[in-house]
Amino acid sequence: MLVMLADQAERLLEDHATWEHLKSLLEAPGSFDRELWAQCAELGWPAAAVAEAQGGLGLGFEALALLNEKLGARTVSLPLTPAAVIADAVARGIGDHPSVTALATGERIGCLAFGELGESGLPRTPTLRFADGMLQGERALVPFAAIADVALCHAAAEDGIGLYLVMLDQPGVTRKATATIDNARAAATLSFDGAHAMRIDGGDGWSACLRAAALASIATAFEQVGGTQSCLALGVEYAKERIVFGQPIGRFQAVKHKLSDIYTELEIARGCAIDALAAAGRESTALPAMAAMARLGGIHAYEFASRETIQIYGGIGVTWEAAPQHHYRRSRALALELGAAPFWRELLVDNIFTLAEAQG
Amino acid sequence: MSDAQRLDAAPAEELLAYRARARAWLAQHAPAFSGAARAGLSADEDLALGRAWQRLKSEHGYACITLPRAYGGGGGSELEKIVFGEEELKYDLPTVYFGVSLGMPVPMMLRYATPEVAEKLLPPAICGDDIWCQLFSEPAAGSDLAALRMRATPATRGGVEGWLLNGQKVWTSWAQYASWGIIVARSDPAAPKHAGLTFFYLDMRSPGVEVRQIRKLAGETEINEVFFNDVFVPDSQRMGPVGAGFRVAIETLMIERYSVSDESLSGPAIEKFVCFAQDARINGKPALEDGEVRALVADTLVERQGLRSIHRRALEAIGAGREPGPEGAIRKLLLGRRRQQVGATALDLLGPAGAALTEGLTTVQDFAWSWIDSPGPRIAGGTDEILRNTIAEKVLGLPQDHRPDKGVPFNQPR
Repeated sequence: MLVMLADQAERLLEDHATWEHLKSLLEAPGSFDRELWAQCAELGWPAAAVAEAQGGLGLGFEALALLNEKLGARTVSLPLTPAAVIADAVARGIGDHPSVTALATGERIGCLAFGELGESGLPRTPTLRFADGMLQGERALVPFAAIADVALCHAAAEDGIGLYLVMLDQPGVTRKATATIDNARAAATLSFDGAHAMRIDGGDGWSACLRAAALASIATAFEQVGGTQSCLALGVEYAKERIVFGQPIGRFQAVKHKLSDIYTELEIARGCAIDALAAAGRESTALPAMAAMARLGGIHAYEFASRETIQIYGGIGVTWEAAPQHHYRRSRALALELGAAPFWRELLVDNIFTLAEAQG
Repeated sequence: MSDAQRLDAAPAEELLAYRARARAWLAQHAPAFSGAARAGLSADEDLALGRAWQRLKSEHGYACITLPRAYGGGGGSELEKIVFGEEELKYDLPTVYFGVSLGMPVPMMLRYATPEVAEKLLPPAICGDDIWCQLFSEPAAGSDLAALRMRATPATRGGVEGWLLNGQKVWTSWAQYASWGIIVARSDPAAPKHAGLTFFYLDMRSPGVEVRQIRKLAGETEINEVFFNDVFVPDSQRMGPVGAGFRVAIETLMIERYSVSDESLSGPAIEKFVCFAQDARINGKPALEDGEVRALVADTLVERQGLRSIHRRALEAIGAGREPGPEGAIRKLLLGRRRQQVGATALDLLGPAGAALTEGLTTVQDFAWSWIDSPGPRIAGGTDEILRNTIAEKVLGLPQDHRPDKGVPFNQPR
C-alpha cells in the first residue's frame, strides 16, 4: 500500500510540479496550488496518516513521511502534515472533532500556529491568551495560514498552557498574507481578537503542544531529506556536465568533496528522521529528543545542500531560472517553521540523559 | 545455502538470545582481562593477557566467529560476529593486537591457502599465538598503494623456486609481534603501476627482515617500518597470479564487509563530555550553559543518532541476506573529525590544566590522550580526503581525479 502511494505521488508530482509551475507560485504572497490539492485529496493523501476511526486511511506517519519526502524532493507545498498532526492531537486529547474528518478528506485545510514575534522557538509563556472560551493575541508567520480553515495553537490560560483548535473563518480572526522568502508556503500572520476556540488537550497543554510540534518536525524532516536528496542529484548532474579547464568540474576535489559532504549530511539526516519516526510509533519517552535530532539533522542537511548546490552551479545558480533557488528558499522556510534550530538544540541538550536512559 | 547464511536469516529472537548469551559470557570472563586487570601492565604483559583472552574466546567459539570451527573459529554468522563485537567493545579488553591479524590476513589465507597450509597456519593465528601483519604501505605509497616500490625478483634457493624481496614497508601495525605477514610487491616494473604487482604471504622470521618500531606523536609504538634485504619467499606462498597483486590487495581491504567500531572511535563518549561541562565553568557559569558547548553536544548527538540508524539498517540488511548500503562509508570520516573536535573543546573547558597528560590513562578514558592521538584515525585506513573521493566516485558516480600515471609503465619517467 505504501509503495503504491509512493509511486502514485511520484507520477502525479512529476506531471504537475514543473519548475515553471513552481516559479509561478513563488511570485505572489500566500500562493497555494488548489488544483494539485484537489487532486491529492482525491487520492487520499491528507487522509493517509489520519486514523480510520477519524475518517482517515490509518496508514500511520510512515505514509506521511513517504509523501513528504516526495513533496520535499520537488519543493511542492501541501498541508499534509497539519492534517495528520491535528488529527493526532484531537484523538489523544478529546477523541473526536468534526473538523478532523474534513481535514482528512481535504475539504478543509489545517495549519500549525505555534510561533510568536520575538521568539525563536515555541514560546513556553505565550503572549496568545485564552479566556472565556476566546483567544486574544497574535501568531507570527504561519505556513498555510493564508488559505487554512482551522489552526492548532497553544495559548496561556488561567490554569497554564492549553492546546486549542480555532476555526479561521470567524469574525475574531484576521489573517495577513505577507511576502516571504518562500511565497509558496502560503504563510500569513494570524490575529485573534475574541476568536472562539476549543481546548483539545487532555489537561497537559504544554506536553500536547510539544508532541504536536515533535510529530510535525519528524514529518518535516522527511521533506528536508527529500529536498537534500534532490539538491545532491542536481549538484552531481551539473558537476558531470559542466566543463571548465578542459574537464568536468566533478573531477576537481573541491567540488567532489563538497558533494561527498552533502551525501554525508543527507545520510545523517535520513538516519535521524527514520529513528525518530520509529520512536513516534512506539510511544517512546524520548520522542521530543528524537524529534529534535530529526529536526536539527534535517535543517542542517537541507540548508547545507541547497546553498552548496548554488555554489556548484556558479553564476547560473543565482538566477531566477535555475533550479537550486527553489531549494534554497524552501530550506530556510522549513528551518523557521515549527521552531528554529536553537530551540530544538536546547530541548535536545536538556534531554540528553532522558535520551540515554530511553535508548538503554 | 551455507550454514552462515542460514544463521544470518535467523529470526530476531535468536539473535537476541545470542546477544544475551554473549553478554553473560563476557560478564563472567571479561573483568579478569580488562580495566583494573590491565592497569600498570608492561607492553609484553598486556600482549600476554591479550593472547590469553584470545585463547579463551577461541575455546568458547567467540574468536573469529564467522570462520570454521575446524580452525578454532566460531562457525557462526556475520550478525553474531557483529553482535559479539558490540558487546565486547563495552569492556576495555586487550584485543587491539589481533585486529589486523584476524580482520584481513587470516580470512584471506582461508581463501587462498591450500587446506594443508590452512590447517597448519590458521589455528595458531585464531587462538592468538601467532600474529599476522599486513605489509602494504611504503614511504612513497600510502593512499596511492599501487605506487609501491618493494621489488619481488624471481630467484631459486636450494632448488626451490621463489622470489627475493627488497625494499621498505611502513606503518605496519604490530609487525614487532608478528610471526607471519601478507605483502604486496612489484614483480614487473615495466608494466603499468597497477599491473606489475604480486601478492605473497611470508614468515616474518625469514633472514633479511628487519622491524623497527616507529614512535607516534602520542608515544605509542604499535606501528613499524619493516626493511627487506634479499628476503626469500617460495613461489608456493604466492597468493593469486603473478601481476594480480593489486586486485588481491583490494580484495584484502574489502574482505571485512562490515566491521564494528565504537561510537566515539576510541575517544570518550559524549555523555562524559556533558558531565565534564556540568562541572567546568566559563566566567563563573557552568560551561554546559554556554551556547557553543551546547551546539557541540547537539551536533554530536545528531551525528551519533544518524550513524546508529545506519548501523541498525546495515544489520537488518545483512540479516535479510542483502548488502548493506554504501552509507556505512561515512562513519569513520565523521567520527575521526568528531573525536578531535570534542577532545579539543573538552580541554578548552579545563583551561591551562587541560594540557596535562596523565601517565597510564587511555584515549577512551581521558580527553587529553584522546585529543593528542586523534590525528591518527583520520589518516589510518583511508584518509578523510581519500574517503571523500571514494564516496564521490563510487557512490555518487563522479569522474575519477586526473591521474597522469595511469596506464604508463611504472619505470618510465613522467
